[in-house]
Amino acid sequence: MRERVAVALLALCLTVAIGCAPTPAPSGGPGSATPPESSTPDEWQARLAPVTFDAWVDELSALKGQIVVVDMWATWCLPCIERFPHMVELANEYRGRGVTFVSLCLDDRDDEAALSLAESFLTEQQATFPNFLMDEVVTRAFEKLGLLGIPAVFIYEPAGDLRYRLTGDDPNNQFTDADVEKAIEELLEEIDPGIPAMRAWVSRDVDTSV
Amino acid sequence: MNLSRVILHATLVVLTAAGIPVLQAGEYNAVVNIGAPMPEFSELPATDGTTLSSSDLTEEVVVLVFLANHCPWVQGMDGDLVKLGRAVQSDKVRIVGVSVNHREDDRLEAMKEHAAHAGYNFTYLYDETQELGRKLGATRTPEYYVFDKNRSLVYMGLLHNSPASKRRDGTIHYTEGEPTEFYVADAVRALLAGEEVTAEETRAHGCSVEYEQDQAR
Repeated sequence: MRERVAVALLALCLTVAIGCAPTPAPSGGPGSATPPESSTPDEWQARLAPVTFDAWVDELSALKGQIVVVDMWATWCLPCIERFPHMVELANEYRGRGVTFVSLCLDDRDDEAALSLAESFLTEQQATFPNFLMDEVVTRAFEKLGLLGIPAVFIYEPAGDLRYRLTGDDPNNQFTDADVEKAIEELLEEIDPGIPAMRAWVSRDVDTSV
Repeated sequence: MNLSRVILHATLVVLTAAGIPVLQAGEYNAVVNIGAPMPEFSELPATDGTTLSSSDLTEEVVVLVFLANHCPWVQGMDGDLVKLGRAVQSDKVRIVGVSVNHREDDRLEAMKEHAAHAGYNFTYLYDETQELGRKLGATRTPEYYVFDKNRSLVYMGLLHNSPASKRRDGTIHYTEGEPTEFYVADAVRALLAGEEVTAEETRAHGCSVEYEQDQAR
């Protein structure tokens, strides 16, 4: 954990130190936030796709049928930066298993330096899932999303309903990285109760002496 | 203070004194609501080398504000907080800043530097136990709590209606343009004038406060 935090902070610091090069224009639509098939991880550059709140609701709606994990973050939020690598790890771990990861950036939409930094950070982290920017006045974005603070992770069940709202709103019950994984596993188990048992069987110790 | 609030406050005091946990959530606060008593605190270290206990506070009105040096929303609002200090602090009004985060740049040594740099004109305390923030449900910085002479909470939330952040280029950006509603200053003035506080709770905006969860769960 400590190493991951250090790497994330180092990546952000390096990005600040070397300046922020503009990223290529999107190829259009939210799909532009994902890497083209031909690109390699080294070539790929993250692009924030701006969405109004209404458009965001539509984007979520379009993802029905999958478990959707939304990481809400901003470059001004250090705990968000520290947690982000774990989200990337989870996205890689759950790839192809009906779980879609999405990030929603809550930086000031008019702060070009912050947005450029955000894209550089996402690129550095290889956050190759859809990355959105809330295109609203930031305080109103928080109101519309029902957020008090970030980091926050919202997890939607396949039917599209918000099932887990992981936040830091209660000082005595702030979410941890483990809570995100636990929530995903619970949802996966509901969808297919056989999955955890199968995973345990696959990862069992194999007796090679036979 | 109206009758219902007096009754609520008296009830909370009795329950708290009896050791019964009281969870009165506000609209934007998971722990306390308007009318909650100010938690006691003892000998918290301040940036000026002194310590402060809740029993030292003799002023009619106490404003607690949770801060974090590292936070751009705190840095963006520092100027307005200092202006508030100039406008309302007197022998009747006391502002007390509190930092509870454990990250190095929010601890006491960094607080001394930040307070000097920002020109803080109020006592700035470090609560390493995080208890004061926990008991008040303070989860963002800056987040304000105004207490009356009975040390009952009369307002919590924003300083004013246009939170500001300090951008990377050093400029201060107000999210809603020039502020037009000054919630904390109005609450303080209403208390001093013996009037009702009209805005009791607003949605604080800023950086999240990180609490140690091994002490909570």
